[in-house]
Amino acid sequence: MYVIIVGCGRVGSELAKLLSAESHDVVVIDKNPSAFERLGGTFNGLTLVGNGFSLNLLKQAGIEKADAFCAVTNGDNTNLVSAQAAKKIFNVPKVIARVYDPERAHIYKALGLDIISGTILFAAMLRDKIIESRFSSYLIEAKDLGVIEIEVKNNLVGKTIQDINIPGEFLVVAIRRLQDVIIPEPHTTVKAKDVLMAAVKVASLPGVKEKFNL
Amino acid sequence: MYIVIVGAGKVGYFLAKRLCLNKHTVSIVDKDKQLCEEAAKELEALVINGDGCDPHILEEAGVNRAEVVAAVTGDDEDNLIICQLAKEIFKVKRAVGRVNNPDNEHTFSELGVDVPVDSTKIIAKIIEEEVSFSDFVNLMSFKRGKLAIVRLDLPNDSPVIDKQVQDVQLPPDSVLVSIVRGEEVIVPKGNTILKPGDDIIALTVIGNEPQLLNLLVGKL
Repeated sequence: MYVIIVGCGRVGSELAKLLSAESHDVVVIDKNPSAFERLGGTFNGLTLVGNGFSLNLLKQAGIEKADAFCAVTNGDNTNLVSAQAAKKIFNVPKVIARVYDPERAHIYKALGLDIISGTILFAAMLRDKIIESRFSSYLIEAKDLGVIEIEVKNNLVGKTIQDINIPGEFLVVAIRRLQDVIIPEPHTTVKAKDVLMAAVKVASLPGVKEKFNL
Repeated sequence: MYIVIVGAGKVGYFLAKRLCLNKHTVSIVDKDKQLCEEAAKELEALVINGDGCDPHILEEAGVNRAEVVAAVTGDDEDNLIICQLAKEIFKVKRAVGRVNNPDNEHTFSELGVDVPVDSTKIIAKIIEEEVSFSDFVNLMSFKRGKLAIVRLDLPNDSPVIDKQVQDVQLPPDSVLVSIVRGEEVIVPKGNTILKPGDDIIALTVIGNEPQLLNLLVGKL
């Protein structure tokens, strides 16, 4: 894939290195040339100094043949403008923008942009860690579905997955056993110290907690 | 008219002042506390200290009843986002955005700013006109830069001196609008005779101005 990344901060540089290591063609744009030091010695993509929504610079970056575009500077508005330029002026197939401000994230999501808000994700993740035990709603970007981890104790030992599942509400999707991960069959039996990973509807969470004594 | 101005720097401040003088109702928003204090002292306007890219701040500034939002900060990305929020969220009829970097003008019009005002280009043009040694000045462009009004002084050695307008073969899609001769303004007719030192104002399609210049000044 040909990917353009605007912003070579911690996130941008990390993403650039990941994609470049997977042999994708990566172009990174940043206003500040010293930001490219974060890319280290092994990065073999292209770097360009300048403004991430300058149409000329984007053309120079090869935006007309880009498969994906990602705006991850620390300025929400810069990211929103760059992403819209990529999407609406250059018709890049996949365009993602990072937006810190939850409000602008919601607004521009509703206007059809693909937005990732670190603030919303991180806050949800912290909330889950504080309030719920082993429940995360942040993994799946949905308000009504989450993922829960359950450590198998006495009351569950020896039961099969089909005994444990609650149709329509709770479904075990994986078992972590020692170093292994098992994708279970209905008749798979759980053992002590297994960790079950299950998809759960948020509305069913209280019932599930009660049932499994969480 | 109720107008929300975002940016209380020099442009925003003087714009607010002028609009107030013309009996418009104005509110002005800026992140900078000091600029807000100065504006509050000098202007009869609602002054809000806050980030104009925040919808709540725009609401405080009365964007819901505004007919126009003018985003005139020094940051193009902020101006663009403010205009988009005004139009998309608050359904303001007209969003005017200041373009600081002329490279961004196209982006502004593509992304929904009704009136992008390229302050840098405008100032550069005026200065260019004042310092220019060329006899040819682009006075203004319209239709997104497809059409221009240009001005030029006919030099003594122009190939069209003492010719009648009807005998001058103008480039396609160009027309002489007026001739300023001393204090006199002449609307040219077929039999008008061109004189050295005539100040000619012409309307032309962009791209044809070199031909026009070549024809009237004979330099290229």
